[in-house]
Amino acid sequence: MVQGFFLGLSTGAVCLAYCAPTLVPYILGEGKGVWQTSIIVAQFLGGRLLGYLFFAVIAWGLNCSLVNQLGSNEGAIGVIYIILAAALALYGLANKSALCAGRSSTWSGLWLNGQRPAMIPMSLGFLTGLNLCPPFLLALANASEFNQLSQSILFFFNFFLGTTVYFIPAPLLGTFNWLPAFKVVGKLAAAITAIYYLYTGIVMIGGGLLL
Amino acid sequence: MTNRVINPDILRPSAVSPLKVLLCSLPMLILTAFLISRGSMPVEPLKVVAFSMTYILINGLFFLMIYTGKVYHYRAILFITVAVAFIIAFGANLLEERGSMLLRTENTLAGDAPFCHLVIPAIIIPAVVTKTIIFPGTIIDRFASISGMLVLWLGASVALGRGWCSWVCFYGGLDEGFSCLCRKPVIKNIADQWRYLPWAVLLVVVLVSALTFSPAYCEWLCPFKTVTEFSAITSFKILVQTIIFLLLFISLVVVLPILTGRRIQCGLFCPFAAFQALTNKFNIFTIGINREKCVECKRCVKGCPTFSLDTVSVKQGKPLLSCTKCGKCIDNCPKQAISFRLKGIPVGVNTQSAKILFLYPAFTFAAAVGGGFIYGALIRVLKLITTGSMF
Repeated sequence: MVQGFFLGLSTGAVCLAYCAPTLVPYILGEGKGVWQTSIIVAQFLGGRLLGYLFFAVIAWGLNCSLVNQLGSNEGAIGVIYIILAAALALYGLANKSALCAGRSSTWSGLWLNGQRPAMIPMSLGFLTGLNLCPPFLLALANASEFNQLSQSILFFFNFFLGTTVYFIPAPLLGTFNWLPAFKVVGKLAAAITAIYYLYTGIVMIGGGLLL
Repeated sequence: MTNRVINPDILRPSAVSPLKVLLCSLPMLILTAFLISRGSMPVEPLKVVAFSMTYILINGLFFLMIYTGKVYHYRAILFITVAVAFIIAFGANLLEERGSMLLRTENTLAGDAPFCHLVIPAIIIPAVVTKTIIFPGTIIDRFASISGMLVLWLGASVALGRGWCSWVCFYGGLDEGFSCLCRKPVIKNIADQWRYLPWAVLLVVVLVSALTFSPAYCEWLCPFKTVTEFSAITSFKILVQTIIFLLLFISLVVVLPILTGRRIQCGLFCPFAAFQALTNKFNIFTIGINREKCVECKRCVKGCPTFSLDTVSVKQGKPLLSCTKCGKCIDNCPKQAISFRLKGIPVGVNTQSAKILFLYPAFTFAAAVGGGFIYGALIRVLKLITTGSMF
């Protein structure tokens, strides 16, 4: 089981690189202090843990065969990217202080405007957890050796703990909250990241169409 | 028929005598001779003609800048000329070396891609973390090597800060050229928040470059790929990228600058511009607004090509961090309330000295980079005229 932790520790920098384009704009966009940013990071990591555990269950239930296929299937990852893009775009553009002229009074608008703030970082964390980044695929390959669900879950939990070490400095981004401009930059960056994921998703789905 | 009113101030000579201006220009006359010729004076008639034309143009503009006291007008002429010359010289070089302006896989593998300053923000994190420069160029060999461009950028950043974007950048002149085409902007009001877009693009480009270990801006967002080097379309991905480059070029470099009269790509999109703005923090030159003379006519705010002035900054007597020191606000001010300034010296004191002190390094870098492109482009054009071939 310790193997999962060390695997996470050795590959966590890559996990951080995968999560940063989603997490950093969100933290800046919220404009909170270090303590409140710590809570945001914890919520994001909680969502990411849920994503990992979701795969742990699937890996155990399907003996990894389907998940491994998913890993090599760019179309499936492309769909996850597009969902992530939609979540980021909603956050970046539908938020009350964003540039978009129209204010939303729909459920999504209420949700994004702070009625249920914990859900946003958790959703983003969950979707990045489903990203199937290279370290995660490595973990999947290891998890396929376990026969019991508890073993699979524990392995992924330890893997998550190992990668989380690299997120410890993330709350320090809260020190930038003294300048309100960072909030605008963060929200705009979230919208641009959404375009990136949308673009990546479309390219992955349409990747087979070689000219 | 449209009535175009030429600002008489542009043509009005300053109080300085031509002889004094000539003496002031003498060091530049000597310096530019070395910079343009790269140390070896041309002997071929065609090169002599190209050299002479470049030399006269550059020094003529410098002379007029000092003589009339108007910086922006003559800088813009040089800046736009450099951008056009860059496209001609760069394209011709690629055609001569590769036979095509296409960047193929073999060129990438051979590290054959010319390095440009727009990549610099994207390479920093991977360089720090892995000691790897994520760009398929060469460190010291060949045209536009990585080290050559980095040294040039470092020197210019220390000397000019974000002045780079109005004096050295060989792309900015395209944006500026199109923004000058429309005398009366169609789009006048642009929300202040959009000024933060370059910072957002910078943030995403830096993070995505660190994630993918590839220069994200070059791969996806650089509008100037349309007129310089572009990838051969061999996949769906490259097709999408090419469409993005084309759309960004048409919208940010051509259409929006014409409609707004501002440098939209430079002021509202370019991530390098945001990154370069940070160098204004330690650069000694800035712009000062004399509050006692200012009548708050807002001509400077409305005219600033890169959105570096707003009513708050005018009240504070200084531009925003993004100021490119292009000199337009100085030329536009009807009360001469705006001037170049050395940090630490009060606003309105020794403004002429501050201007000369700034113009020397600024023009030296402009001549060092732009002079070479103009010279190179003129050689190609003259060859084309005289022999029917650029090569």
